[in-house]
Amino acid sequence: MSQYKPKVVCFSCKFSWGYLADEAYLSREIENWIPIICTGKIDTTHIMDAFEKGADGVLILGCPEGDCHYQDGNYEAKKRVYLLCRILESIGIEKERVKIELSSDPEGRRISKLVKEMKEELAKLGPWKGNVVAEKMPQKKEIKAGRGK
Amino acid sequence: MWKTESVGVTRADTAVRQCLPPCQIKCPINEDIQRTNVLISLLPEDMDSAREGIIQISDYLYEKNPFFNICGYICGICELECNYKSKGGAIRRRLLKRFLSDVYTDHLKERGKFGISKNKEKVAVIGGGPGGLMCAYHLSKKGYNVTIFEASDRLGGALWLVPDYRLPKDVLQTTVENLVRIAGIDVKYNSRLGSEGLTLEKLEKEGFKAAFLATGLPYPRILTFEGKTVEGQDLSGVMYGHTYLYEVSHNNIRPDYFKGKKVIVTGGGNVAFDVARSVKRQGGDVIVICLECEDKDCKDGIPADEDEIRGAWEEGIRIIYSRGVREIVGQDGKFKRIDCPACISVFDEEGFNPKFDCTDCIDLEGDVLIITVGQAPDRPLLQKENLLNERGRLEVDHLTLQSSSVPWVFIGGDVRRVGFMIEAMGEGLMATESIDRYLRGVDMREGRRRDYEAYEIPVRRDYKPVPEVPWMPPEDRMHFQMFEKGFTLKEAIEEGKRCVTCGPCLSCKACVSIGFQKSLSPVEVDTATCSGCGHCVYVCNYGAARLVNRGDKVVSETDMFRCKSCGMCVVACPSEARKMVDEDIADTIAKVYASLS
Repeated sequence: MSQYKPKVVCFSCKFSWGYLADEAYLSREIENWIPIICTGKIDTTHIMDAFEKGADGVLILGCPEGDCHYQDGNYEAKKRVYLLCRILESIGIEKERVKIELSSDPEGRRISKLVKEMKEELAKLGPWKGNVVAEKMPQKKEIKAGRGK
Repeated sequence: MWKTESVGVTRADTAVRQCLPPCQIKCPINEDIQRTNVLISLLPEDMDSAREGIIQISDYLYEKNPFFNICGYICGICELECNYKSKGGAIRRRLLKRFLSDVYTDHLKERGKFGISKNKEKVAVIGGGPGGLMCAYHLSKKGYNVTIFEASDRLGGALWLVPDYRLPKDVLQTTVENLVRIAGIDVKYNSRLGSEGLTLEKLEKEGFKAAFLATGLPYPRILTFEGKTVEGQDLSGVMYGHTYLYEVSHNNIRPDYFKGKKVIVTGGGNVAFDVARSVKRQGGDVIVICLECEDKDCKDGIPADEDEIRGAWEEGIRIIYSRGVREIVGQDGKFKRIDCPACISVFDEEGFNPKFDCTDCIDLEGDVLIITVGQAPDRPLLQKENLLNERGRLEVDHLTLQSSSVPWVFIGGDVRRVGFMIEAMGEGLMATESIDRYLRGVDMREGRRRDYEAYEIPVRRDYKPVPEVPWMPPEDRMHFQMFEKGFTLKEAIEEGKRCVTCGPCLSCKACVSIGFQKSLSPVEVDTATCSGCGHCVYVCNYGAARLVNRGDKVVSETDMFRCKSCGMCVVACPSEARKMVDEDIADTIAKVYASLS
């Protein structure tokens, strides 16, 4: 188990995270980092795809509440993560595998720290077992959560 | 720290349908307000690192508006139309600009001259106020050889009459000095049109191919009552606000000049309040009396800004609304009192046409009367230059500002129609376009009519309250220093964030200019798979997604003028009918995912 190195895909909104830093530098620093223009853009299928392709966890970093450039994208993302976690739990997958934090770090120094913390947590959980229970899971299209208000 | 690149230059061009945020439509020069707000919100939190960003933002603003650092003190016209007004308070755009100004004014002297060769025609600008300077700046930028003929010994025109507590003189001085230097404008001081042989004819003979006449309103307007001049304006102790402010600006009036004196100011405009508050600062006990009523929203409401009225009130200036001046009474050649009938209506269908109820009169006694009821142009001069029509009005095309009688002359600014500084600047910009077209011999009017469309405020879960702008308490501000505290860097960032960016991305492109996105990806709808369910309409905060009838089917489409490419509709679409075209993020995701296994 000690050899197990969890993989975390990290999405972060450019409007609050790392916009003052050199993106190329941060990309080298943070593994599997996807800076995105709004967390509201992250589809549940993006998250599930990540797991399917071999990720053990997905971390989403959005803007502080009330600060979304596109009004409420961060709130939508938070809601989506919450709903997805409920579904994952219902099929026996740990909800800790998907995390969202709404905060801000213009220099982007905290991103790799947050990824590291998540990896440490995931190390305790072990690898993603989702593909084992995949048969039990509904088809992708049905999971895909719409947005209600 | 990000760098703004030229790819993010905004476009406010002559499209058939031009959508802009309401603040930008309100601004007579359509300044890129939203862009500025977004970039300010992305500044670093420590001043040393932020400076570089502030200068980048300011450099961009300066290209179009070489007066923006003055606007930051005295304009704020954009705030009147801000969508946030209905949600707790307009974005304090003026203060955001003042924040930039406070860094940039010092930096101005480092700004280089225009790097263009001036090989085009000679153009004369008559009058060095904001309108004339704006025109001269933009003509120079286009390569014309511009000479300003300024009647006085300083540039800036009526801006000098704004008291120091609202606009510090050094900001004004630095701005005009650098403007002239950067644009390489030739200035002839003490050159008044109509005196010492300076005429339009002479300018034409000297080789000037076009002229912009922006001579402003150099004379105070005389007080009249029911069409007749009110007697007694020559009494000792009666003066005009315009003259008074001129003397104040030249430091010709002792700081305690009005000590122990009761001063009556007539007029309800901002200038009247500038006068009243200056007098108060020079020791006077001031009463303002105006025709208009207190309710700013009614047709006869007082025209002065709310902040001016509030400031005056705080400073202990009494305001008497809805009264005119019928008679000025003197004693031994000195002003004694005025007789003030109630004003029952100021404007009618014809325009300014006050009506009075002379059975309801009050007497106001005082030592000094300052008449501030507007300014007037140099009519005889305009007459002599053949610029007036038979009705004694300036005959000017409203779209091109071209004089009907003298086609090589363009007229704008206060002389044409009294207004705010920025309105004169707007006309300077219009005149630039006209003069350029005139000298190139192209159509003067084609494509110049712009119908702008504004947006409503986007849907949000919560809105933030407007920040308090601290003023010094009245007892501490009886001097001519600024009493309004500007934003700190942190406050400016917060206020920039508060802006909900209700305008379209096309007129902003802040995110593109700093490389957040390569381009603004359009959202495409596959009408074959679209079920017309309307989820996208529901989630779109900007009203960009909507349902339309296509044959016998209801499908959704995207209004590209409103779309912000936020992608919420793409995520919400249950049929995967919506997608973003050419989005760079898809590649990043694919690359990262490929590396996982």
